[in-house]
Amino acid sequence: MNKEIFESAADAILRGDPEKAAEVARKGLGEGIDPLTLISDGFVPGINKVGDMFECGQLFLPELVKAANAMQRATDIVNAAIPEGEGQTRGRIIIGTVEGDVHDIGKTIVVSLMKANGFEVMDLGRDVSTDRFVEAAEQFNADIIGTSALLTTTMEGQRRLEYKLKETGLKKRFKTMVGGAPITQRWAKRIGADAFAENASEAVKQAKALLET
Amino acid sequence: MSNEITTRMGDGERVLFSAEEIREDIRVGTAQAAERAGIPALSAEEQEKLFDIIADPSRIVSVQPGEEVIVSDDGCSMSFYGGQDGGGVGAPLSRMQAVLTYERACGADTTSLGHSDYSFKPVKPIINFEANDYYNTSMVTTAPFFYGAQPNLGLYFQPDGPCPNAAELMPMGKIDAARQAQEEAAGHLTRDLVFVGSRLADVGLEGLNLDTSGSAGDADFLAALNAVARLKEKVPDLPILMGASGEFIIGMHGEVEYDGQRLAGLYPQDQVKVIETAGADIAGVAINTTTTESLPWNLSRSVTFMKAASEASNIPVHANVGMGVCGIPMMEQPPIDSVTRVSKALVQIGKADGL
Repeated sequence: MNKEIFESAADAILRGDPEKAAEVARKGLGEGIDPLTLISDGFVPGINKVGDMFECGQLFLPELVKAANAMQRATDIVNAAIPEGEGQTRGRIIIGTVEGDVHDIGKTIVVSLMKANGFEVMDLGRDVSTDRFVEAAEQFNADIIGTSALLTTTMEGQRRLEYKLKETGLKKRFKTMVGGAPITQRWAKRIGADAFAENASEAVKQAKALLET
Repeated sequence: MSNEITTRMGDGERVLFSAEEIREDIRVGTAQAAERAGIPALSAEEQEKLFDIIADPSRIVSVQPGEEVIVSDDGCSMSFYGGQDGGGVGAPLSRMQAVLTYERACGADTTSLGHSDYSFKPVKPIINFEANDYYNTSMVTTAPFFYGAQPNLGLYFQPDGPCPNAAELMPMGKIDAARQAQEEAAGHLTRDLVFVGSRLADVGLEGLNLDTSGSAGDADFLAALNAVARLKEKVPDLPILMGASGEFIIGMHGEVEYDGQRLAGLYPQDQVKVIETAGADIAGVAINTTTTESLPWNLSRSVTFMKAASEASNIPVHANVGMGVCGIPMMEQPPIDSVTRVSKALVQIGKADGL
């Protein structure tokens, strides 16, 4: 039964059908499927397939936009079903896409998995300025600041955050994590970020490891 | 041979690879290109030739005498008078002096002039000045002298242009409106390309370079194709180089067609065919360099795409070997070790007719 729902979830994303995606999300939760599993085994394979097809020139921007909207609808519903602050929290994370970059999908999936794994997450959205990251991290009393960048032209925003934290003496207070398509471990090391994650599940592992150190 | 070979990553970082690692990246790179574009991978013999080029211990490499190809200029003279932040050296030269220095001191095969914005739209209101500058310079140059710029469809969307902004409409889910805006913008762009090309042809233009066509997607590419066709009707003897901007045409619209061929998703071997159909004399191929992969991986892919394009085309195909393209690392000043290896491999294995 779960397999059928997972396939429907992936199909709704591939077709870019937000109504269908919302319906599958509600149905899956209603049948008691764990929210994390519903996201990771149902919707994420769908959006990954869309990403792969876009990257190869087999699917185009209009379809990508439709798929992203469908994914957003599904993750909004599933995220709302993830209990927040219940019991012991693993840590507090501020997350967002850097200034000048409006890509949101990958970061939103990270938010889902982080919440599902017991982190308290404040999602700042996209096109977030360096100052906003720092200000929000202080207000939220974050343990980690996570930044996403999809473009080589915007990844400098991650470096600017590192500068800002060092300049203001806050580097020791917050751990930093970076991710996004052009981001590598070498880039993380070069700019002084504390961790790099290639995908959402790796981001959860890295966040756990950072807070254990 | 040393087991440690100096090469680079796509972002330009120097790295040491073993021979096995380089061979593996070549194998994976060509296989990935072949699978993506539905073209043959490089043979074992070609992969070994590519390995020899990459692993050559010399800092720079070259083709053998007799295998040289010409370089179609892509704004090189701008590198003389442009500032460092634009990749130039800031020498105090006028445009004419820079063109002549490039031709006479550097022995350029071809030279070119272009507006500093490097888009066609800003040239329109100053066409009289631009045509005059072109004419005066062409009177003292000997090598073929292009006028080049990018079509740049983005300049036709609000706030820079008259059409609703497709990049704003699309994320709002207004897909039909976004497509309509792109079609409208493509019409304006074609008209401007034809206008500028015709006016320069009036003063004896020796070649027009529509550089990086399709950078704003399939509608941008369509506009350039339509302009080539109209210019060829109007000025049949005007040589036109039309270069692409990526290994496949990005489907920002997704449905526009040229001569019954959907443009979105076309790989180089099909790009060169539509460019040829439109009437261009030289087709340009551009393969994206991936910054997180190595030069062997990137170059292997580029050579694979280039070879397929060259075999498919009946007109000369030139490879774009600029920053972040065709295996050249993404660096403001591309390193000479990489530039020469990429050039040699694209010519000797990829069968590029020019660069």
